[in-house]
Amino acid sequence: MIGDMVEGIPSAFEELRVRGAHAIEAGHLEAAEQLFEEALAWAREHGDSNLVDLALCNRAAAAIDLGRGERELPRLREILMRGADPVNCRIAAYNIARHYDLNKQFKKALFYAQIARDRSEHLGRQEWLASSHNQIGSLLLAESFFEKACGEFEQALALSSEDAAVRRAMIKDNLGYSYIVLGRMKEGFRLLFDSYRSLRRIGATRYAAEPRASLCFAYLEAGRPRRALLCGRSALALAEAEGVVVAIKNLLYLLGEAANLLDDLDLARDYFSRLQREFYPDAGYLPDFLLAIDVRKLINLKA
Amino acid sequence: MATQKVRQIQLVGRKIRELRKEHKLTQVELSQRLGIQQSDLSRMEQGEYRVSLDTLFRILAEFQMSIGEFFDELAQESITPRGVRLVQQFNTLPHEAQREVEDFIAFKRSVQHRTEPADFDPDSEEEPK
Repeated sequence: MIGDMVEGIPSAFEELRVRGAHAIEAGHLEAAEQLFEEALAWAREHGDSNLVDLALCNRAAAAIDLGRGERELPRLREILMRGADPVNCRIAAYNIARHYDLNKQFKKALFYAQIARDRSEHLGRQEWLASSHNQIGSLLLAESFFEKACGEFEQALALSSEDAAVRRAMIKDNLGYSYIVLGRMKEGFRLLFDSYRSLRRIGATRYAAEPRASLCFAYLEAGRPRRALLCGRSALALAEAEGVVVAIKNLLYLLGEAANLLDDLDLARDYFSRLQREFYPDAGYLPDFLLAIDVRKLINLKA
Repeated sequence: MATQKVRQIQLVGRKIRELRKEHKLTQVELSQRLGIQQSDLSRMEQGEYRVSLDTLFRILAEFQMSIGEFFDELAQESITPRGVRLVQQFNTLPHEAQREVEDFIAFKRSVQHRTEPADFDPDSEEEPK
């Protein structure tokens, strides 16, 4: 989204910005931050305050994903409050929402995400509107407002370009998961398969663990633990290869649950014990607890 | 089935509420300890809010409860009159007959699992039936 062209921007500045955006997409966040820093220096040198704000917003996006978002917040809020440029206001609001989302402050995130959506609507930028609907949907999903989240994801899918394959796949994963939670199994499975296939097709393995984990959950919900186990094992291998910690944690739980439902108590204990050792070292009771209690209906994998 | 599942969530929510009151905590106090919003805790107690694994285990750690303590009551409330009758009848059987019933249940469960397709290849283009 950062890489989306903004009209009327000098090419030297824009080149740095687009390279930064590509670095973010490739997961090279430090390099992206550096490129946006260079863009910021260029804008300051040429005395263009709007470009300074734009570069600050872009640099903040990289910093936020690097877990250094706190120090960016005052500048982002200032850009938003100053309201000098609607594009920068939109990006600032979106990034603030992203920061709060990553810090699991979903209500604050929702407040800023709605501002970003309104600005996107005002600007008439369809792709931005799509990403805002997706952001709001993700926040509502994390807050267990599943039906409202579905509405946002559906709008995001309707508005997003077919070219934005990774974004569409991630929206489909979230929407598919929400449908499964709501018991809309057929629609949910279709979207999760679509999501996983398209990520595999374009080689975006970094993101493919998520829909596979959702599929594992879906099979459990459909009463098919054997399939859940097969699907979850390959998802876990993928998540481990890509270092997707949240997915690893969820999958260890889901795999244990699948093994438990298949009455393979040794295997279930293996998964639950690993979950406890690696993520909850102080909770020695956890394997026994999960062997005894099915907590699927209490858990939100996207929270 | 769906109604029973919803009911299970509500029971857990109610249990959290009871525990909170036993520990003389307000929703605000407990939610602060758990690092969640008071409104979320309120929805959780009403069975409307699902949590991450992290939050679930924080709740259990907060009350420092055993599995049995937390869920014994829920298990008792979840059991149906038919279930109670079956347990009572089971208990009247001689030991050998009880073993036969257990074997039969194990057999029925294994048959149920065998009916699931076992050839799923997650890398195939197959969709669930």
